Amino acid sequence: MNRLIKGVRPRALVLLAVFAAALVIAPLFVSSYVLSVLIIVLYFAYVGQAWNLMIGFAGQLSLGHALFVGIGAYTSAALFIHFGIAPWIGMFAAVALSVLTGCIIGYLGFRFSIRGVYFALLTIAFAEFVLVIVDHIPWLGSTGGFFLPVANRDRIDLFNLRGSQIMFYYVILALTAAALVLCRLLLNSKLGLYWQAIREDQESAEAIGVHLFRYKMIAVAISSGLTGIAGVWYAFYYNNLFPETTFSTAKSIELILGTVVGGVGTLFGPILGAFILTPLGEVLTHLTEGMKIDGIKSFFWGVCVAAIVLFRPTGLWPWISALFGLDPRRGDKP
Amino acid sequence: MTCKPHTVITRRTFSTGVTAAGLTAAAGPFNVLRAQGGALKVGVLLPRSGVQAGIGQDCQRGVEIAPGIFKDLGLPNLQIMNGDTESNPQIARAQAEKLINEGAQLLVGAFDSGQTTTIAQVAEQRGIPLVINIAAAPPITEQGYKFVFRNFPTAPMILGDAFANQKEIFAATGSAPKSAAFLHVNDTFGTAMQKGIGAVMPRFNMPYKIAETIAYDPRARDLSVEIAKAKATGADALLVVSRLNDAILLTRELVKQRWTPMAVLSMGPGWYEDQYLKTLGKLSDGPMSFVPWYDPNKKLSKQLEAVLAKAYPAINLNTNHIFTFEALLVAADAYKRAGSTDPKALADAIRKTNITDNVSIGPGIQFDAKGQNDKVKDAAIQNRDGKLVTLAPKAAANAKPDWPLKPYDKRG
Repeated sequence: MNRLIKGVRPRALVLLAVFAAALVIAPLFVSSYVLSVLIIVLYFAYVGQAWNLMIGFAGQLSLGHALFVGIGAYTSAALFIHFGIAPWIGMFAAVALSVLTGCIIGYLGFRFSIRGVYFALLTIAFAEFVLVIVDHIPWLGSTGGFFLPVANRDRIDLFNLRGSQIMFYYVILALTAAALVLCRLLLNSKLGLYWQAIREDQESAEAIGVHLFRYKMIAVAISSGLTGIAGVWYAFYYNNLFPETTFSTAKSIELILGTVVGGVGTLFGPILGAFILTPLGEVLTHLTEGMKIDGIKSFFWGVCVAAIVLFRPTGLWPWISALFGLDPRRGDKP
Repeated sequence: MTCKPHTVITRRTFSTGVTAAGLTAAAGPFNVLRAQGGALKVGVLLPRSGVQAGIGQDCQRGVEIAPGIFKDLGLPNLQIMNGDTESNPQIARAQAEKLINEGAQLLVGAFDSGQTTTIAQVAEQRGIPLVINIAAAPPITEQGYKFVFRNFPTAPMILGDAFANQKEIFAATGSAPKSAAFLHVNDTFGTAMQKGIGAVMPRFNMPYKIAETIAYDPRARDLSVEIAKAKATGADALLVVSRLNDAILLTRELVKQRWTPMAVLSMGPGWYEDQYLKTLGKLSDGPMSFVPWYDPNKKLSKQLEAVLAKAYPAINLNTNHIFTFEALLVAADAYKRAGSTDPKALADAIRKTNITDNVSIGPGIQFDAKGQNDKVKDAAIQNRDGKLVTLAPKAAANAKPDWPLKPYDKRG
């Protein structure tokens, strides 16, 4: 516990506690519509956190993270449908497969010194590659889609992840909280320092003895594994998977936008970004309803995102944390 | 980044803004009003932006032309509440929740199977009937839902009808191709169709064999090689699964390479779309498409055609308009019979639907125990002078097949 809160300003802790409490009691007060929006927000916050670990902490850019969501989703769904294996157990296979795929990409990239945008291209290529493969596997529904049976939503079956919207809300909330704690611990660990050294200057890090290949691989493995868990949740919440909408590059971009807007490399950036982008979309939908121009909401949404990126290129969290005095105490950064 | 002393947004103003926004958001759910009596509130969910925007907006035309016709039919008013799914299943789900919270008593949508599946879950969970306009994935009505109804053929129904209609045309003309070159786009839809055709075709004992299957990229800007390969097979006919742009490219290549097959048999979009007809003029005549369609001989179809022509003179009546209109027809009819906006009463009424004065092909709109209209049929249509005529099934035909395809170099 001490490691978790070390260096965090008291006012930041209070705000975090209030925020967490608000999220815990939210289902008591909000409508199912707001709850569905909160679920999307938390999903993006969780996946953003997982992606942030790779790019924000270790400096390895992935633009194909939907791949790991897809692998996690298809693996757990297939095990559930074909063998009746509960998702919490199927999750182990989902994570293992996601990590394995991540490690293959990482190995190819880091072993052959593929860096920066070229590494990003490699991640996109793998996502597209797996998309085509799944397109051709009838066992996974191929292009026609893979459907999970929808159960009675009045009861809660946590073991099989079949149940009400509220159950899914608390599951994704718990995952997001766990990811935040994990990232905080990792960032403050020796491993986190190695990652930051690699992110800041790879050559210098290597010169002082940081084993680049090993620590980059660990970052990819943890990030892909965490993202695979999101896939399990996704499959059982939405109950249908289509290769085109699960693995596409557009999905990958969607997953990372919140983190980019919130602040890459910060702990709270992915959460803040998710809490800004999704509600912003809903507010704009509401405001533009009367205009009767199809797609006008997307236009304004794009303008808002561009404005944020333009005026706060490092993301919103560094600015907000400075504004409210939430920065870690001197000497306790990152 | 640090806070500058001259920053316009002070901590206090920011806090005030956030608090105001929070209060507004928190108050939102309590503003829900449920209509009692009056018009039935129908939430129409369509992908009117995003990658499927064109189709979603086309479906919307079916919504816009409905009120006048319903008035003529003596059906009650519908209050349409529009929701844009943005071609995204996640947004579709949230929009469904939003519309229900704002008082929607029935949902219609949503063109795409993935989006429709997520909406169906919300509808079932909230006990609000969903009438699907377009979505062909069979599992949607295999889930044991009580509030989900589909007046659209499933993918296997579409393929089966396509081959049955082809055989009917071959019988009517007394001629049939012995071989066909199969050209298809290699995207998700094209690949799915290619597999479906491979699985379903043997069951129909078709008179032609597939001489060669040629896949191509939907973004290809030049399809000369593909047409040359197809021509080289010596096939009598061309079987195609394509999109709009590649349908135009393929036709231009047929003209350039002076190859007029006996028939062009299209199992997907592209070849009958308005843009295809407008772009190619006389060269667009002849191809046959096998699609969910309307019965041009039905009284309501004629009325729908006339209303659409008046509202949108440059647009031919098509699948998107027909099935979106019919979904609303189901809603209005059920509301009239139920005499109530109670969702359960509406669902019960929809279950007992028996609309014979409808637009789509078949005996009318009825739903089986799963909520599927298993009697809806598909058509074979042909482009003729910038319009579309129906060739099969016989009961819905309004023209005889123009067979074989008129040579491209003799069209003036």
